Amino acid sequence: MTPNGAVIFGFVIIAGALVARDVVSLMVILAITLIFAFGSRQRIWSALLWSTGIVLPLALFMGLVWIGIVGRAPHEIAANVEGSRAAAAVYTAVICLRLFIIAFAIQAAFLHFPGWTPLRFVAALTAPQIAKKLLVLTLSLIDTILQAVDRARTALIAAGIITRRQSWRNLRPGWILVQTVWLTVVTIAIGRTRDKWPVEDTLARLDRTLGGAAPRLGGADFAWAALAIAGAAMALGMR
Amino acid sequence: MFTTPRLVAIALCAALNFAIGNIVYLVKLPIYLDSIGTILCALLIFPDRFAAIACAFIAGFIGVILSGLVINPFLPWFTLTVLAIALVSALLTARATETFRARPLPVPAFAGKVILYGVITGVVSAIVSAPVVVYLFGGVTGSGSAFVVAFFLKTGQQLMNSALLSGLATDPIDKTLQVLLAGLLYRATPREFIAMLAPPVRSTT
Amino acid sequence: MGEFIAGANFSGRSAALMARLRERAPAFFIGPYAEAALSGLSSTVADEIAIYRSANSSRPAFAPLDFPAYAARKPPTLSGGEQVLLALHCFSRSDYAAIGIDTALEQLDPGNRDGALAYLSRGAAHGFTAALIDNRLACPPGWASHELTGTTADFACDLAAIHAAPRAAPAIGVHDLSFRYPGGRDIFRDVDLLLEPGRAYRLTGPNGIGKTTLIKLLAGVLGPTAGALTLDGGAYAPWRSGNRVFALATQNPDHQWCGATLAEDLARRRAALARHSVSLPSDEELAKLASCLGIRSLDQHLYELPLVARKRLSWLWPLAGAMPWIMLDEPTLGQDRPTRAALADAIGRLTAQGHGALFVTHDDAFAARIDHRPLRLANETVLS
Repeated sequence: MTPNGAVIFGFVIIAGALVARDVVSLMVILAITLIFAFGSRQRIWSALLWSTGIVLPLALFMGLVWIGIVGRAPHEIAANVEGSRAAAAVYTAVICLRLFIIAFAIQAAFLHFPGWTPLRFVAALTAPQIAKKLLVLTLSLIDTILQAVDRARTALIAAGIITRRQSWRNLRPGWILVQTVWLTVVTIAIGRTRDKWPVEDTLARLDRTLGGAAPRLGGADFAWAALAIAGAAMALGMR
Repeated sequence: MFTTPRLVAIALCAALNFAIGNIVYLVKLPIYLDSIGTILCALLIFPDRFAAIACAFIAGFIGVILSGLVINPFLPWFTLTVLAIALVSALLTARATETFRARPLPVPAFAGKVILYGVITGVVSAIVSAPVVVYLFGGVTGSGSAFVVAFFLKTGQQLMNSALLSGLATDPIDKTLQVLLAGLLYRATPREFIAMLAPPVRSTT
Repeated sequence: MGEFIAGANFSGRSAALMARLRERAPAFFIGPYAEAALSGLSSTVADEIAIYRSANSSRPAFAPLDFPAYAARKPPTLSGGEQVLLALHCFSRSDYAAIGIDTALEQLDPGNRDGALAYLSRGAAHGFTAALIDNRLACPPGWASHELTGTTADFACDLAAIHAAPRAAPAIGVHDLSFRYPGGRDIFRDVDLLLEPGRAYRLTGPNGIGKTTLIKLLAGVLGPTAGALTLDGGAYAPWRSGNRVFALATQNPDHQWCGATLAEDLARRRAALARHSVSLPSDEELAKLASCLGIRSLDQHLYELPLVARKRLSWLWPLAGAMPWIMLDEPTLGQDRPTRAALADAIGRLTAQGHGALFVTHDDAFAARIDHRPLRLANETVLS
């Protein structure tokens, strides 16, 4: 499978999940997504767990708000009828299932590229060069920020301002952490932009790495796309 | 318009949106804090207004796309809100850049501008977001503001009104906090970085 | 042929190096700290190498580390020395015809440093020229030396004027200490150690062995997987109770600031340590100390200082004497010989007054000036 094929599959599945209105059609789309995940021949448990981890707090939260507090579904509110908790439960299930499909489809797509680095993946996408460059830059800066958070924590702990242990007291210097992270990362960015990149012409190297024709769509891409389109069509038909 | 330092600023601000926004989303507070980077980007690139709008929007857009992929599938649908925040930040909030960087800090002027521009950003954001919240997500997006929506629903408001009222109740507070944090970060940013983001010099020969 | 640019701090060496590289652009550049060594465009070590690798490059690869084993790691998670080695490896796989290194080799242990120098000295055979700034080395044989003599008084420092008050520091006991990063190998296993006050200790070991990790454990930044620390025999768990013993100067000075300005940084430390009943010197005394380190105003924006000045300012917290023990992680990076010697003497004066000191350095000359005990890290333990 190619990254472009994975993106196409993802878009179609997400579109299908959005047009699906009821639990049955969403289950059909979920089934297609599961087949897609199994088709990667990788272990899918971590993808399932991750998607569940994102949606479960939401499900509990929505259950509390919609079923527990509001007690009726949006269409019942709009129609000004008394409504029922059962309808609210169905509504909650639809929203959560839809989100689970979206999250899982994305994770499943990544399963098809085990061992691929972010740079290799982005390079194989069909997109404007500047968009690919920005994406690579942002991904690596996210890593830099996460490292800067770690360094800032070290600074604050060493200075006695926070402790390593989880503590409400550690929330108060949250602003110091944010400020320190920002300043660290900006300083790194200044150094690269002023010195390293101009003299090396590093961004031109990135262009060369990201450039080149993306791999053409193959049989696997078309097959998965066809399956996704079938699922989305079914969902549309069941509205 | 897109010089290398500006590309770096966009990526930095997108990464900031991603990092802070996702922490807050996971904690389920009725605030977002996911546009600090967008606002900051506009402040950094001001007074080049058009570039400020473009760069702030792109920073916000990348942030919501990446967050959507990794942790919060709701976010990419609020792209129009991102545009609205970028516009307000570049055209209005950025007028306060001199105040934000003044030393010593003029506290009343600083606080006044933060509140004014924060409320305006919040109101605009709430109005632009309400239709998305209602039509795509039925009023609940998984952020803590859903409790506020539920409250209004319980008091008998229709869904669109509830979403709008919820947004108007929480967004101005959230955006004021974001303008405050963006302003403070802008204040702390080294001069050299801001100077790098000035418009490219055009050769006149 | 290689060019060695010599001179004191602030004589214009970095500017001269950059000018050289711009003449020969595009040229590979490795700056003073880890973040300035790498491209900043990659999320993994494999991607970093991929960005620079050229099919046209015929020179032998410089590979002192097993880079395939590092392939999936994120570059910022490597140690400072490892990042410099990665940068050199990327250069060796590229087709750049010139390389400039601004004091980055100072972070390498002797073995890796000699290997790097040997590789760089073969530039003529492998089709590249090298320019080097290094405060530890003399001009390598066969290289051209370019001496700069200018200077500025802007950041002139006077370390000889720094004296600490007498202090009764506690003894630090390390008992059966074990540590492993989540999902990683053991860094330490059952380490026992006694750090006595009034003494200086030098941590040595190859790049990536765990010197900074030990420092973080003592400061409470990391928590051990097993074992305990004691303070004068009593239990001490800084990872729970917070650090109130060590004043830390980090390898990259930007990793220890707690504010945008010096005044903000010191105010926050003061407020935090007041909770532990640790009192700081007054603002006047700290301003005088900052002035000895070349900084004339407490309102100085920390990140707008030149790197060499920021590094010197990173010594302020340890030399202030507020904490009984000081830890310095590669304190002399980027500093010329007279400044290194003066810092060594200042540390000696501190320990003579009863403070304890722990330092990491690859600079043998600097270490030799301090009366110290070596602690060698090897095989997941610490040998004294």
